[in-house]
Amino acid sequence: MLEVSNLSVSYGRHLALSDVALSVGQGEIVVVLGANGAGKSTFIKALAGLVTPAPGARILLGGQSLERLPAHQIVEAGLALVPEGRHLFSTLTVAENLSLGAFLPRTRAQASDSLERVFAVFPKLRQRLSQIAGTMSGGEQQMVAIGRAMMTDPQLLLLDEPSLGLSPLLTTELFRALPNIAATGTSVLMVEQNSHQSLSISDRGYLLEDGRITGEGAASDLLQSEAVQKAYLGM
Amino acid sequence: MFMNALLSGLTLGGVYALVAMGLTIQYGVSRSLNLGYGEFLIGAAFAVYVLFGALGISPYLLALVVVPVAFGLSWLIYRVMLTPILRRARTPVALEIDSLLLTFGLLFAMMGIMLLVFGSNYTSYTYLSVPVRILDATVALNRLVSFGAAVVVGALAFAFLMRTRTGMALRAVAVDPVGAQLVGIDVKWAAGLAFAIGGAIAALGGVLISTYMTFTAEMGVVFTMKALIVVIMAGVGHVVGALLVGLALGLIEAFVAAYLDPGLTVAVIYAVFLLALIVRPVGIFGRAVR
Ligand SMILES: Nc1ncnc2c1ncn2[C@@H]1O[C@H](COP(=O)(O)OP(=O)(O)O)[C@@H](O)[C@H]1O
Ligand SMILES: [Mg+2]
Repeated sequence: MLEVSNLSVSYGRHLALSDVALSVGQGEIVVVLGANGAGKSTFIKALAGLVTPAPGARILLGGQSLERLPAHQIVEAGLALVPEGRHLFSTLTVAENLSLGAFLPRTRAQASDSLERVFAVFPKLRQRLSQIAGTMSGGEQQMVAIGRAMMTDPQLLLLDEPSLGLSPLLTTELFRALPNIAATGTSVLMVEQNSHQSLSISDRGYLLEDGRITGEGAASDLLQSEAVQKAYLGM
Repeated sequence: MFMNALLSGLTLGGVYALVAMGLTIQYGVSRSLNLGYGEFLIGAAFAVYVLFGALGISPYLLALVVVPVAFGLSWLIYRVMLTPILRRARTPVALEIDSLLLTFGLLFAMMGIMLLVFGSNYTSYTYLSVPVRILDATVALNRLVSFGAAVVVGALAFAFLMRTRTGMALRAVAVDPVGAQLVGIDVKWAAGLAFAIGGAIAALGGVLISTYMTFTAEMGVVFTMKALIVVIMAGVGHVVGALLVGLALGLIEAFVAAYLDPGLTVAVIYAVFLLALIVRPVGIFGRAVR
């Protein structure tokens, strides 16, 4: 459903991403592993339209080209991003944050179904609807950010280091929730650093080094591979 | 004297509150501080002065023409002048500096045109200048009607921001433009709309104030400064705060003029502003919006 090829991004002279190719199937969970500065955020921002890819890039979502669309139209096309730093509407309530997730006419019609789906994955949020989002803990904010992205009724959910800044317990809780999201038919593509857990819940994985894809495979194979264990899993 | 000062303070403060609300919407959503904001206010005052003189139509009815024109003009200025620098600016700070320079130019262009057409004389006209007795004080009817109009439009604008989807989208952009894009909001569209709404509100303020105050072609900057003081004191993007502080500003002005000296109003306002900045740098309603 997502087909990426030839994706390069430069910041001025600095080539941050070079010729990346990747695919995600319907209902699949895919993780891209890379060290700090490898280009993970750049990759995911390019997909979401927050940075501009170099000419020649192809980003196809369900057959539709995204590479030239501005960010807000990419959301309309069915791709939702939970960004680094979350970018919640911190002075608005959780209810307002979630309701803004269903801002587009396409998603507004589904808003109450989407909201039930969010509560099914994060039951805690039901009691927190009137809380100001910025006053929540990091883990709770991450749930709101994912919930907001789910409200856009996406075909593909992108997560930029979802476990960053979360306690081990919350990380476990978060990674348990992702397969439930994928089970509803929404594909998940995330980028992570040293996460054993992210590989354990993923179907497939890619390795990103210095802006290039240097390996890929089934998540179970990557978990076994000695090179991966050394480089990414801190063993 | 107390009642007189209270009434003139409330009526003036009501319009200040409205004008500050317009600037906080404009600045809060588009992140472009419009230094030519007060020129829209004065421009509308002159437009009404001319049209009222020529046609004899009530200034309040003329607002139905002047305000939409200001809306369209502000939108156009945003699209033509400010969107190109949006593309150019690499950081939010660069964007703010670029837009300051541009709107500084806008200020002088608009002021220059008005000076050319109207000269630098004090201008005024008489409309509904009938004294009304309230308790033991008198206040002109034009002040009361203007105050009423400011309250109604302020309430409508507030309801629009809080209750409609479009209003919520504008608030979302003010809080986090990146987050707004990620839920499908076209941030450029939202900024243009907010800029237009702000310009329209400034123009309405100009129409209301012109019914009871003398004005000159060079006075726009005074209103920009006052509105900006209110916006900063309240916290950028904080609409309720701007309304309250704007009202307070009108009251302070009236009481200083009545009990101290009319020449001291500006000095006292700046002193209050300075104090507020020292005590609460993020604004009285204290949340850093950015
Ligand atoms: N806005 C930017 N301007 C210039 N260089 C950038 C910018 N953002 C990221 N980079 C550089 O691009 C590389 C990849 O960054 P990033 O995608 O954030 O990596 P990661 O998310 O894997 O840590 C880094 O070398 C970083 O310094
Ligand atoms: Mg990153």
